[in-house]
Amino acid sequence: MAGVAAFAETRDAVVEAARDVRAGWTRPATVGIVAVAFAALFPLLPLGVGLNRLASDLYLAAAAVGLGIIVGLGGMPSLAQGAFFALGAFGTALLSAKAGFTGVFALVLAALIATLAGGAVGLVAGRLRPAIVAVLTWLIAWLVAIGLASFPALSGGAQGITVQASVSPTLAYELGVAFAGVAVLIFALLAHSPVGAGLSAARQNRAAAESLGTPVARLRAATFALGAGIAGLAGGLGVFVAGVADAGAYGPLLSAKLFIAVALGGAVAPAGGLVGVGVLVVLNRVVELVGLESLQASRIETLLVAVTILAVLGAIDRGLLPSLTDWRRQRGRSDRAVDTSVIARVPVVDPVGLVAHGLTKRYGAVKALEDVDLELPGGGVHALIGPNGSGKTTVLRILAGAVPQEAGTVAVGGEDLGESGLRQRAERGIVGTLQATAVFPELTVLENALVGAGLRVPHASVPRAVFATPKARRDAHAAREAARSALDVVGLGGAAELRADELSGAAQRRLMIAAALATQPRVLLLDEPTAGASLAEVDTLANIVRALRSSGLTIVLVEHNLRLVSRVADRVTVLEAGRTIATGTIAEVAEDEAVLGAYLGGGRF
Amino acid sequence: MSLVLQVLVSGLAAGAVYGLVAIALVLVYRLTGIVYFAFGDLVGLAVFAALLVAAGTGPVTQTNVGALRFLAAVFVGTAVCVVTSAGGYWLAVHPHLARGSVVGWIAATIAIAYAARTSIDVFFTRPSYAFPDPLPFDEIGNGGFVSVGGASIQVRAFVVIAVGFALAGLATLVLRRSKLGRGLRAIESDVEGAALTGVPVSGLITAAFGLTGGLAALAAVVAAPSSSFGVDAGSLLGVKALLAALVVGFSSPIAGFIAGLGVGVVEAGIANFHVAGLQLGPAYHEVLPIAFVLVFVAVRALATEGGAALRET
Repeated sequence: MAGVAAFAETRDAVVEAARDVRAGWTRPATVGIVAVAFAALFPLLPLGVGLNRLASDLYLAAAAVGLGIIVGLGGMPSLAQGAFFALGAFGTALLSAKAGFTGVFALVLAALIATLAGGAVGLVAGRLRPAIVAVLTWLIAWLVAIGLASFPALSGGAQGITVQASVSPTLAYELGVAFAGVAVLIFALLAHSPVGAGLSAARQNRAAAESLGTPVARLRAATFALGAGIAGLAGGLGVFVAGVADAGAYGPLLSAKLFIAVALGGAVAPAGGLVGVGVLVVLNRVVELVGLESLQASRIETLLVAVTILAVLGAIDRGLLPSLTDWRRQRGRSDRAVDTSVIARVPVVDPVGLVAHGLTKRYGAVKALEDVDLELPGGGVHALIGPNGSGKTTVLRILAGAVPQEAGTVAVGGEDLGESGLRQRAERGIVGTLQATAVFPELTVLENALVGAGLRVPHASVPRAVFATPKARRDAHAAREAARSALDVVGLGGAAELRADELSGAAQRRLMIAAALATQPRVLLLDEPTAGASLAEVDTLANIVRALRSSGLTIVLVEHNLRLVSRVADRVTVLEAGRTIATGTIAEVAEDEAVLGAYLGGGRF
Repeated sequence: MSLVLQVLVSGLAAGAVYGLVAIALVLVYRLTGIVYFAFGDLVGLAVFAALLVAAGTGPVTQTNVGALRFLAAVFVGTAVCVVTSAGGYWLAVHPHLARGSVVGWIAATIAIAYAARTSIDVFFTRPSYAFPDPLPFDEIGNGGFVSVGGASIQVRAFVVIAVGFALAGLATLVLRRSKLGRGLRAIESDVEGAALTGVPVSGLITAAFGLTGGLAALAAVVAAPSSSFGVDAGSLLGVKALLAALVVGFSSPIAGFIAGLGVGVVEAGIANFHVAGLQLGPAYHEVLPIAFVLVFVAVRALATEGGAALRET
């Protein structure tokens, strides 16, 4: 009986997976399947091409796709991918030839070592500026190359370490096709998951992604581990085809070549590394065919490659595949009209109060805030107004956890927030729109909201996204639904598939609100949502904020525009020069002598 | 004591050249936000261009070279580095910078490095080369080495150290005092503000590339006759200079120079290290400094305080 139940469960899981695959099917998927099928059947053609060499190229391509995951998704421009390739190659060779493990076991173990090493590097690289990441990883590539050259005991010296090659050329080639195909699939699955949206967001604007709760450091470390693991596996497989692990083959040139391939094909495209390696291989074969072999072919080739790369990169900046996508998008743009007028209602949440006490903050010698108190009952809109430089935005940034206060406390729902940062506060339901415009321009509108929705995904991790486990797929569905309903709230439901930078400035500000809403906050912090907005747009924003208020959200609004404040605010606090000068309803505040003094320089209007 | 002296002299001589390349790397990073990975290779190209003028591509038969021919070689080498570093910036890096493409400028600088490296490969196919010396150091002491309290010290090293310090001093002077230096400082603190106040931003950055690249090449050519070198020498020089620049967080050109001296001394120290029978030997002298710096940066990155210059905001 247990067998029958297990069978039914498996069958349901398969049916569900098939449904998901069908729902998510796109044109690139068709192209990919056709390409893999053609490549797999290629040896049947009587062309007499050396399959061993093609197999090595395919392993290299897989390593490039792994690097694409690190660079394009993780935002870490690594120049060490060749080092992880070498780690896999020498790990496999040493474990099988010296330690006596079986081939497959040695291969898996070596790939695992490369994965762990990648995770360790990613833990560091994920926190550094991109330029510094490039320097750090370049040094790692040199460390491994010099290390292998300096210690022949490890690398087998000039002869390298020979391995019993038990793989036929056809098998090696078919393995290469499968491996490169799976690597691209992994990239695509990860890119389209909520985790991928968070990673891409962090690449474009780290602070904004963290303010929406994306655990950037953790996800980046996992991404680096994944990419390095793919390189390790590729290196190990290469050893079985070549029959030898030779230190000379894994110098910094390999790392540089892989990076250039990724730049050429396009770092953000799953098949970018594959296309880039393809271009390099074709260049190489052309040099051979033209018969430059007599002229020190390998040297001329590198020179030719370098010059070609410089020319191509100068012309198409983001790489071949993304340029193609941009071009198609541009052609199709006119078909899409967007209706942004529909505003949906928001699900109701339990109101939660916010109390700030004695907030003080100095920037150098300038006192930005001095002993500011705020008491917000749960629910409702509380506006902070005041002249420029009065400290309103500083209060908001302290509430969000973007800057620490020097003195004072912030508590939400009676719970002291301590010194928690942006991300921890987002997890506790305090989320804001912080900077002037902080949408992620290269993501679609839906993906922008998905970054926020990712915060409430219970099983968000790189391995789950890669293996597309049933839980991960269910979570992804739920996150997409949450993102869509957040877009509906701000009236952007019809624009979900547009790129964020195709929206107007005002619509981008609404998108920021949607991304914050998708995190399912209890307290929403809005920093001047009307900046640069037209009168009609201010009225739309007023409708949105009123819809949010009716759901029970506690909203803190920093705003210059008194048209919006007078329409939505339940209570108003007026700041001047870092101090509170009045608090109350808008009518009470408007009668206050101190406020009139601050705004009108004394007297009554 | 004698060992310390030996390590200091040979370390400072090597470190002075690392330091001058580090000055170039740090200055360019502070001006543009990019790391010009090609600097080491372009300096290598300059040394081989100078060698071409001084002795041709064959094996060096003469042990020294006429002063005039050496001066011509120094001039050609320096000019090659000035032109290629500034030209490479304009042709290959500047377009990516304008588009804000990090992947683009890294790929472009790496491609320039390999173009330079391969241009050397095409003409110079032997594993190692010796640069003829214009000055008769060989005739001093024992084949150019003198013995000081048991330590064997290359006399030539003192000249290299002196030239290195003089060039670093010149670079500092230009950056602090000249009109060019004032313009560069303006760009460093605020590019847009500098452009608005009429500073010719692109021109000055190109000049900075040329100036620092030229100084580094000059030092490298002067140092070249000290020992034999292979076609990899330039790439390795770039790596050492990157180590120096990274360890000071790309904070200031002069800090980069001092760190470069430090890298040279540490290397020499490791190569000569033997205490109580334990000897690290030459195999470690390149590996260990890189490993040290990697660990140092990792600690800075993972610590909760400090390291702001390295950390992404």
